[in-house]
Amino acid sequence: MADLPPPVQGPTAKEKKYDRQLRLWGATGQIALENSHILLINSGPGVVGLETLKNLVLPGAGNFTIQDSALVDEADLGVNFFLEEEHLGGFRAEHTCNLLKELNPDVQGHFISEPVESWLAQPDALEPYTLIIVTAPIRPGLLTKLAAHADQALVPLFYIHSVGFYSHFSIHLPPAFPIVDTHPSPETTTDLRLLKPWPELLAYAEEKTEGLESMAADDHGHIPYVAILLHYLEVWKKDNNGQVPQNYKDKTAFRDLVKAATRTDTPEGGEENFEEAVSAVLKSLNPPEPSSTVKEIFKSPECVIIRENSPPFWVIAHAIGLFYTKYGVLPVPGAVPDMKARSADYIQLQNVYKSKARKDLAEVLESVRFLERNANLSTHIEEKDVEAFCKNAAHIKLVRGRPFHIVPAEGDLKFGTNAKSLAQKLTFPDALVPIYIAFLAWDKYTATHTLDDLARASKTPGSSDADVDSDTGKVTSIALKLVDSLVKEASYTIDEEEYDTVRAQIAELARELVRAGGGELHNIAALTGGMVSQEVIKVITEQYVPVDNTCVFDGVRSKSSVFKV
Amino acid sequence: MATGRDKHASRSLGSTLHARIKRARVLMVGAGGIGCELLKNLVLTGFGEIHIVDLDTIDLSNLNRQFLFRKEHIKKSKALVAKESAGKFNPNVKIEAYHDNIKDPSFNVAWFSKFDIVFNALDNLEARRHVNKMCLAADVPLIESGTTGFNGQVQVIQKGKTQCYDCTPKDAPKSFPVCTIRSTPSQPIHCIVWAKSYLFTEIFGTSEDDAPELDHSEDSENRKEIENLRNESQALKRIRESMGSEEFPKLVFDKVFKEDIERLRSMEDMWRTRKAPNALHYEDLLKEVTGVEKNIAQKDQAAWTVTENFAVFLHSLRRLSNRMEETKANADTGNSSPILTFDKDDVDTLDFVAASANLRSIIFGIEGRSKFDIKQMAGNIIPAIATTNAMTASICVLQSFKVMRAVMAKDELGAKLKDESSEKSSKAEVKEEQIEAKTDEAFSQKISKAKMVFLAPNGTERRLTTEGLSPPNPCCPVCSVAQSTIVVDANRATLNDLVEDLLRLQLGYGEEFSVNSEAGLLYDPEEDANLNKTFAELGLNNDASITIIDDADEGARVNLVLHISEQHLGTEAKPIDLTQKPEIPLKPKAAPTETNGDSRPIVTNGLTNGVTNGATNGLKRTAKEAGLKDELVRKRGKVVAESDDDDFVIVDDANDGVICIDDD
Repeated sequence: MADLPPPVQGPTAKEKKYDRQLRLWGATGQIALENSHILLINSGPGVVGLETLKNLVLPGAGNFTIQDSALVDEADLGVNFFLEEEHLGGFRAEHTCNLLKELNPDVQGHFISEPVESWLAQPDALEPYTLIIVTAPIRPGLLTKLAAHADQALVPLFYIHSVGFYSHFSIHLPPAFPIVDTHPSPETTTDLRLLKPWPELLAYAEEKTEGLESMAADDHGHIPYVAILLHYLEVWKKDNNGQVPQNYKDKTAFRDLVKAATRTDTPEGGEENFEEAVSAVLKSLNPPEPSSTVKEIFKSPECVIIRENSPPFWVIAHAIGLFYTKYGVLPVPGAVPDMKARSADYIQLQNVYKSKARKDLAEVLESVRFLERNANLSTHIEEKDVEAFCKNAAHIKLVRGRPFHIVPAEGDLKFGTNAKSLAQKLTFPDALVPIYIAFLAWDKYTATHTLDDLARASKTPGSSDADVDSDTGKVTSIALKLVDSLVKEASYTIDEEEYDTVRAQIAELARELVRAGGGELHNIAALTGGMVSQEVIKVITEQYVPVDNTCVFDGVRSKSSVFKV
Repeated sequence: MATGRDKHASRSLGSTLHARIKRARVLMVGAGGIGCELLKNLVLTGFGEIHIVDLDTIDLSNLNRQFLFRKEHIKKSKALVAKESAGKFNPNVKIEAYHDNIKDPSFNVAWFSKFDIVFNALDNLEARRHVNKMCLAADVPLIESGTTGFNGQVQVIQKGKTQCYDCTPKDAPKSFPVCTIRSTPSQPIHCIVWAKSYLFTEIFGTSEDDAPELDHSEDSENRKEIENLRNESQALKRIRESMGSEEFPKLVFDKVFKEDIERLRSMEDMWRTRKAPNALHYEDLLKEVTGVEKNIAQKDQAAWTVTENFAVFLHSLRRLSNRMEETKANADTGNSSPILTFDKDDVDTLDFVAASANLRSIIFGIEGRSKFDIKQMAGNIIPAIATTNAMTASICVLQSFKVMRAVMAKDELGAKLKDESSEKSSKAEVKEEQIEAKTDEAFSQKISKAKMVFLAPNGTERRLTTEGLSPPNPCCPVCSVAQSTIVVDANRATLNDLVEDLLRLQLGYGEEFSVNSEAGLLYDPEEDANLNKTFAELGLNNDASITIIDDADEGARVNLVLHISEQHLGTEAKPIDLTQKPEIPLKPKAAPTETNGDSRPIVTNGLTNGVTNGATNGLKRTAKEAGLKDELVRKRGKVVAESDDDDFVIVDDANDGVICIDDD
């Protein structure tokens, strides 16, 4: 449930309006959304950018700005629901901004209709924005400039393509993008510590299972399953040199032991609590070992050395790392799943877990305070943040943001660190890497072709009917060259026959992209806008795990794929 | 080549498909979250005629995602406002809106069959099932969709070719044993259900027996307690009589928070091992209530103290009783007393349920909940956001392209074959059947390209997962039935005419079968009282349907659904007749329903929140996909070498630059 501070006054109309989303990301997420200022640098048909913004204006992103120097033309009316006949010839940025603002009076909208080249040339042009979305086509030089800003100001940058039936987006996040509230699925969050019980938990189990054999039927049928499992674990250990069940074979044997202890002389012919115990064996009897991703976070340089400007995430992670080093486990999260039990026993059990969780939290908090003093930290870390971290410790996540590929107008693209994995994925039918390559080729074409001699507006392949054939040839050859250089850079050997298939596929995709003539299909733009805005919300609220770092969509087969570039 | 407005769509879709889409007539049921997005996409894709049906009006909590609506539209019809707003996006599209229930009889089978495609953008199971049934009856493709939070899915349904909505069982709403709710609650939800389905309905509504959340089944253990609980309910009903009086709140309070608790507590057996409940005392709480802040009921995210709950309880009870009194005073007829129903958005009812639930929790030593949480638990609120709806609606339209291609392929082939056959003009009778078989085959082949799509919000490798469409479940009670339309002169035709003449004589039914209407049983071998009644007397009017269930021991046939078309037939004509003789296949041998074998949880917003998030595997699907393929192959009677489903070829059509995206 959303962790919401008690409001000073009653629920406002605003809270009522946002009710359905507060149940997903809570007040903290909503506040983050309201404090954001999103910049959209729009070009091409401009649909996907506006569809993305629509989905951010509706839930109440605080501010947005649209940079777009295009004028509204007839084709815009067909794909862009914001625009109507009366807007023909006007600035697209201005009209779309005004119409977007209509969707939500809580949101402030701004627009810039100055051409992107001159506007970006101004110093501090990007200063106000907390997140930047760019739609293709854009000149590589400008995109490089935006990427540099993203790196230096730690501002997330999104780059989107939507052409015909295909789309793509890449996200450039700050090098360390940690998430505490990852919203793991409820099945994975139960952590009962049955294999590493603490004395109070053991005492509880002992108390509830005392005289188990001779217990009255009703009592026997109401022992909480946690106590049942702990009791039989002790029995098991006696017969197994003090070892808990180690592997699948042990666990099934242990499960049979518990099953055999179920009384069958009841009116139902069994006992619900024992059934719960039996079905919990395989999933609950795991050593409470943190995942490798969590352990990596403890080892990362930001975590190891705490400085005065360390963000709270790293300070708390460091403190929890200390806790882990000391005890070999993470703090107990404290939640207990529902189970067959008498109310009083259940509440008592809840209290055993809660008081342990509080004790663990107190210890982590003490380390946090010590670190604060020691490193002379500039910010004071709030207890509730430490608490949230302790509860979610097993599920925290660190995304290492990195720049995406920008195809240079001149010279060759370097695929970099992920060249190998990209090359490997070329032949995976579901990885859709060929679509990504085709988009890179599309970018290369637009980077090297202009509509007129003024060299201002980029020309997208296939945009004039007469050139479709020659453009298809050009984009195809760029794409094939790109895939060759990827395979070469990765020094990856690929089966010749398979490689021919990949090349044929890429050629077809290149042709398909050209055929769309740089046009957007409203429906694909809407879908891509939905996906991008969902990721934007994740990034802004720092909740859920965002795409790392590239997503491709194939509208012909309704397939999507996520991979790192 | 299309220019202007159509430029982009025409290029990507190809001008033939786009031209067909511009002539298409589609129905969209529901103009809420998915509906708004869907309507925008349909309008901008250029679908020629769009009909919208929605019964609902606009609420403030819709505005965070239903972008066709503004604050000034609150309380207005969703369908009408959606038409108004979306109509501006494309003046070439014709939109019809109906502020009406899709279950209204005027939306009959004939009406449904006017559409090329039906889109479901609904929020409840009942309406989904109804539309599913109507589309099967009208043989119209249906694109079904739903979302919950970040999850969503889209399913294409085509009679006889794919699973229908009811081919896989849907989860029933959770219910609790009545004794847990009434005597031994142990969780906050038990107290919330008690407050909503027992206390609220006993005081302001009809009767607790109607509440679906309560499971009243008796067994040897709880029989006595259930009897006690009935007496308790009766006593509460008597207190209801004194509503409006000064002492009413105290009477209610003392009854449910003191006397009933004391009675429970006196049953020592029950508390031998449970923590016994502690009654609350009205006078004690009344003394402290003045200290409670005035606006406490608005603090919906804090857990209230016992006194705060008490204050909210008193206050909301008073507001609700006043409302009842006013309604009573204004009612024209004094016979039926007015009732209130719980509505999560009706703040008085929510306050009452929240405060009562929390007071009960305190009595039983259960943790209280904030009003915000109780609203979600009591109101079955499904989180909903713009992003998920945007994705889901776009997938619906993508799937509709595949359905339109199937429709086109069928029409084109049909026209071509008809031309050929009329040229030869011999044995036209035989040709007709062949044409139908061939066009059906063409249709099947194309529709098998459509997919079932799931959003996978947490998938690390993909954001959408797809699976092929499964063939119909042969045991499905909804789609694996035979359907036909009968012409009936309702004032002349009797049930006996149906049973003897039509069913036994014409269709060869034996002795053992039953005739059922939506209201219930009309005829079976033991029930012959209705035989001499006419259709008019039985209330079987135009567009009603009746179901014939064959109970023969050997060779029983599947259920037969007959749709009634009322007509005045001349006195010489039979008063009842078939329009077309239906083929009624035999019932499959009670095969184990494999429906649930690998069914993914379906989001049905309004019913289950149990959507799992895992990135789903593509592996399990192949068997089923293969199943559908096998069937297609079988139907064609020859084995066609099919390319793998994942390969596709882009074929450039030389005539008009159309690209057909296809995999064969």
